[in-house]
Amino acid sequence: MNLTTSSELSQTRYRIAESILEFNHPVNYPLAQLLPSFRDFQWLDSSDKTDISITVSLAKAPIPEDLGTLRTDESIAWGDRFRFYEKEDTFITTISNEQGNGLWYLQSDRNFEHSTLYVPTSSADEQGGVITWMAMMIFGQASLLHNTIMIHASVVNHEGKGVAFLGKSGTGKSTHSRLWLKHIPNTVLLNDDNPAIRITDEGVLIYGTPWSGKTPCYKNEQLPLQGFVRLQQAPMNEFEWQTGLKGFIAVLPSCTSIRWNKELFSNMNTILEKIIAQVPVGYLKCLPDAAAAELCHSYLFSNE
Amino acid sequence: MKLRSDLVLRTIGSDHLIVDPSQDRIDLSTVYTLNSSAAWLWEQLKGKGFTSDTIVDLLCENYDVDIDQAKSDAEILLQDFQKQGLLEK
Repeated sequence: MNLTTSSELSQTRYRIAESILEFNHPVNYPLAQLLPSFRDFQWLDSSDKTDISITVSLAKAPIPEDLGTLRTDESIAWGDRFRFYEKEDTFITTISNEQGNGLWYLQSDRNFEHSTLYVPTSSADEQGGVITWMAMMIFGQASLLHNTIMIHASVVNHEGKGVAFLGKSGTGKSTHSRLWLKHIPNTVLLNDDNPAIRITDEGVLIYGTPWSGKTPCYKNEQLPLQGFVRLQQAPMNEFEWQTGLKGFIAVLPSCTSIRWNKELFSNMNTILEKIIAQVPVGYLKCLPDAAAAELCHSYLFSNE
Repeated sequence: MKLRSDLVLRTIGSDHLIVDPSQDRIDLSTVYTLNSSAAWLWEQLKGKGFTSDTIVDLLCENYDVDIDQAKSDAEILLQDFQKQGLLEK
């Protein structure tokens, strides 16, 4: 007699940039195996309060006829398989499954603190990929309630300090990080795509996360943030500090927040305002060469 | 009239700005910059109903301007707010 087992949920918890992310999933669902990039972030202390919860359901998704207002269908990761809707007090994210005969269906409350994800027919690879991405999207919003912003950046660790390189896709953020690893001694990669930044009493810290773009670099580490550098490809190398408003505007496009929840968007700006008051921002026009990394390093670490 | 309640005036160093998130499908969020007197007026006006006269009074009480100058400055500021969509509809 074991009729209740199928509806029992177990919890798998992670701590990312000090926020606790909890998955509730069927006992026999191999969640941890599906999320290898989360391994370093597993959190076993169940007494801590959950900040963000995601329930994974294998039941049939309760897809309504009217999904609400289509807010966006643009996604670099999913192309035209992706849709994002606002409906009353919820946001709905859908991704067509690979076979094209089902939908990944995610329903989140307005602040993304509680979400339910319905899993369609799919391979283990697809499940790992979609759940990892959905968790990133959720974390990017809900973390804004905890003085934390997820940014789009490649980050190096130079002698225990983090430097975040910003720029549009294809600008060469990862390339510039690699130039530091090769030419600036005592430098390693912290994260190549989606680090989180948090304001603490001890200053502004930058954290590795389970999300790092195409580079498998999922470090559960935190560093004081030494500076941001926005990169632009150019036929020469030139560094300029950006103060006040210019610094804010240089970092803003790299920060994560949906625009359709104005409180979250406002939180993002408030956190960024505080970060910019403490962390310098530079603008580097650069070639993909050693001299670019050396110039950038000389400005950021000039007093050391 | 009223200032939009969802907009927050921010100060970074000596700069004042407002970020207006685009609600369209395409992300074209806008950053408005305000000089220090416009920023001061924003703080005085936020959260309440006001008219052009409210601004004229505020300017005359706190700045060394005559009434005609204040009226014309208030008019220009209001037109800017209107044009940029910073007032509640």
